[in-house]
Amino acid sequence: MSYIEFVEGPLFLIAATIFVLGALWRVIGIIRIGRKKDISPPKGSEAIGFIRGNLRHFLPRGIFARRTWVHIVGGYGFHLGLLALILFAAPHIVFIDARLFAVPWPPLPRWGFIIAADIAFAGLIVLWVRRISDPVMRLISDWDDHIGSWLTFLVMFTGCLALQESHVFLRATHMLFVDIWLIYFPFSRLMHAFTFFLSRGNTGATYGRKGMSL
Amino acid sequence: MQVAISVVLVTILLVLAGSVTAQSVRPPGDAVNLEDSTTLGPSNALGNLSDSDIWRDFRGGDPVNIDDIIRGPIEGQMMTRSGQLWREIREDYIRKYAGWFPVGVIAILALFYLIRGKMRIKGGLSGKTIARFNLNQRVAHWFMASIFILLAISGLIILLGRPVILPLLGPQANAIMTSAAMQGHNLFGPLFVVALLWMFIKFIRGNFFQIVDFKWIFKLGGMFGGHVSSRQFNFGEKTWFWMVILIGLVMSATGIALEFPWLFEDLRILQASTILHAVGAIALISVSIGHIYIGTIGMEGSLDSMLKGEVDENWAKEHHDLWYEEVTGKSATEVTKEESGS
Repeated sequence: MSYIEFVEGPLFLIAATIFVLGALWRVIGIIRIGRKKDISPPKGSEAIGFIRGNLRHFLPRGIFARRTWVHIVGGYGFHLGLLALILFAAPHIVFIDARLFAVPWPPLPRWGFIIAADIAFAGLIVLWVRRISDPVMRLISDWDDHIGSWLTFLVMFTGCLALQESHVFLRATHMLFVDIWLIYFPFSRLMHAFTFFLSRGNTGATYGRKGMSL
Repeated sequence: MQVAISVVLVTILLVLAGSVTAQSVRPPGDAVNLEDSTTLGPSNALGNLSDSDIWRDFRGGDPVNIDDIIRGPIEGQMMTRSGQLWREIREDYIRKYAGWFPVGVIAILALFYLIRGKMRIKGGLSGKTIARFNLNQRVAHWFMASIFILLAISGLIILLGRPVILPLLGPQANAIMTSAAMQGHNLFGPLFVVALLWMFIKFIRGNFFQIVDFKWIFKLGGMFGGHVSSRQFNFGEKTWFWMVILIGLVMSATGIALEFPWLFEDLRILQASTILHAVGAIALISVSIGHIYIGTIGMEGSLDSMLKGEVDENWAKEHHDLWYEEVTGKSATEVTKEESGS
């Protein structure tokens, strides 16, 4: 079995299984914990608060927006760029088509890929640089944050290095980092991709029940 | 009398020499028959045209239009002189010597470190700090640094892969590394333009040259002793800033030309771009090594300014005394009661 066959075959299968089961286990676990019973009479709707909490956090508060604009622009740039790369990059669509299901949308053209990748990289670098430059961010960051950032960077970086698709070794190295990333994901703060709506919703529901506006 | 004899002898010798020479250039027998070249010997071997005429015809119109070249060879246009000149500059000068500049800077700095050691703060760390760079400036700096390092490594692989990596690691490794480096370089290139603009906006203030900078030059930045005054940025830092901005502009313009070659019709623009891009890159990489050295192991306390945004007061007094006085309103030379221990 060659390097590429291993990382795209059994290792990918194991990594994808760990990713799916691990992420489900974490999300279901959080939901099962539930919320502390509030015996006070409700002054508003928890459900509406849950939705409002999620939507409201997409926009920064006016007083913070000016001070944190780099963080906001970097954060949105990275996440949207990464999402576009994962879902719309032509090699990804070919891979998903061949192994999982027929992707119904067309791939990004090359210039679109370059723009999405540049925005994603710029955002990721800005976020990480802020993490090491800001005294508060530096204080609250631990190894998990740095490993998550660097693994994501390496996945994106090796993917872009393999863009020419002229050497199997480069593609296999990208897949190796994808497999490692998938295995690490459920056990790290990368899980925020699936849990952010729960935490935002929890805050929103609490506020909503109390009749407070967000 | 002696003069007359000498003149006669010289005249005789010249006449004899002339007759010998005339005989020696005459072709023997019918080796060359100018009248009938088909039947007798290899006559007219050099043709009726001179070398200059042949080569002039050979290079024809000297095509420089990229579209024409891509479409295929045009009648009467077989070679490009500018391409040959470009190849010679690239192969005989840039690829041959470029790598030695960064290596030379590293060697000089290593020697300097061995002789001079780390530049310590004379009064030691005071424990009191003052703000030097805000968060946005630090993020802009490290953003540029990250992009610069990625571009420098990938660019060096592209430029020096054949003369350095190929003999060391073989053709397969060189092909893989060069392919990867090219993709990475093309991808991060546009981000350099963004980083450059951000750096310019965040650091232009305080980086204009002033009269105090001349004193800094005369004292060689205090590297060999003596105190040199400076404001927020000294002459060396200002020079580095303007090098990054100006050479960076050239790198951006030439990089865009190379990444989007279809924007230009004239091949010579691309040829000049590769030369300027390589020379500019080597200059920036070489000087950046000095910048990294002085910002890390070369000088005590300097890294804090970009990591934490704050510097020790004694560091500020020693290296940027005028700036210290400006931001604190205190004298940089005055020893406080607390410092004197009384």
